[in-house]
Amino acid sequence: MEMELKVNQDNCLGCGVCVVACPVNASISNEVAGGHGSKTTETIMMVENGFIKLFSPEKCTKCGTCQLFCPTDAIWLE
Amino acid sequence: MISNTKEVKARDFEISRSAEEKRELLYKDDICIGCGICEKTCPVDAIELGSIGAIVRTDADVPKIVCDDDKCVLCGMCSVVCPVDALEFKIDDEDIKNMEEYPSLISSAEINDETCVYCKACETACPREAITIARNLPERSKLVTGEIEIDKETCIDCGICEEMCPADAITMEHKLPTSDDPTVSSDIIVDKDKCVYCLICKKSCPVDAIKAACRSCSYGEYDLNPEDAETTGASFIDQETCVNCGWCQEICPVDAATVVKPFEGELSVDQEKCQACGACVDICPCNVLSFPASSASGMRPEKVMSDENYCIYCGACENVCPVKAIEVKRTDIKHTPTKSKSWDKKMESLKT
Repeated sequence: MEMELKVNQDNCLGCGVCVVACPVNASISNEVAGGHGSKTTETIMMVENGFIKLFSPEKCTKCGTCQLFCPTDAIWLE
Repeated sequence: MISNTKEVKARDFEISRSAEEKRELLYKDDICIGCGICEKTCPVDAIELGSIGAIVRTDADVPKIVCDDDKCVLCGMCSVVCPVDALEFKIDDEDIKNMEEYPSLISSAEINDETCVYCKACETACPREAITIARNLPERSKLVTGEIEIDKETCIDCGICEEMCPADAITMEHKLPTSDDPTVSSDIIVDKDKCVYCLICKKSCPVDAIKAACRSCSYGEYDLNPEDAETTGASFIDQETCVNCGWCQEICPVDAATVVKPFEGELSVDQEKCQACGACVDICPCNVLSFPASSASGMRPEKVMSDENYCIYCGACENVCPVKAIEVKRTDIKHTPTKSKSWDKKMESLKT
């Protein structure tokens, strides 16, 4: 059973840790690999107006890295 | 009576069909390593591998594989290719791995108790906690001989020897003094089974109340029986949890452990592609992968390092890597022969 990537903006602090931790994001965007926010909506998720938003969730491989790093359980797989 | 049933117990499942013969497929989720070999092997695409990375890393209460009982034809192929025996297939209550007609992977892990010195290195190293070493240590009193005596008339009950004794062999009966008995101790006892005749008490006694001598030091060890110094014990490998990774064989200082792995192959990590997310490190059932520490400041180590001595080439890391930085090749499959060409072909198709 394939899991699904979910976000809850109510919990999100907009810290962007998930954006940087995500290995798929880092392989798509050089800025992310360098520890910065993404400049392209090609990445799975990015912080927009202070909250996390999913842009290309279909690219997610369900590795669980974002969930491990999120300090507020605002992004998870289920 | 013909019946088809599927029973799901927590994360495990059991699919069975009773007709002329009873066929059962049993799955144990806690043994499954999430390699996905069963999914690739299933001829009717009944098995689906879950989101292994997320399941393992977030401890999700979801089974690692699911089997669609409408599709499953109970052929048993998944059970013979499973490198860790998480899937068991029985025909009339007999495991097909024990039947000559069916092929099975050749793998084993053994510890030779004749050679084993019971150091427990394998028990500590085993990534699956499958090894238990039970050992009986020699009796300390049989490894040293000597004499010790405390002159209770001279002793001032200071307790220094009791505190100093490294073997906890001296016990003082402490008490509060009364006008009837103005002493601070009622007795001092030396446990000769614990005493190692190191003479620390004798040297630290402020009033020279202790007479002690180590016979091994003065006369040598001729009166000690070398057999009394031997540690005896027994080793046990839980074959259910063991994945035949080879850690015990590699770490054993006396070559007492022998492991036969079912697959031979190659594992390679593309350091350029790797984003160091750690999914492979977490998923590997054999502790093959790790993040290396930097050898010196300013030195950039490899992102993920691997030691193939412990790899079983199951491919779980390759499946879970989000950026396709890992490649696992299986070059040889060790299995018992079968007359069935289709089964033989399936076994050989595990080569990549």
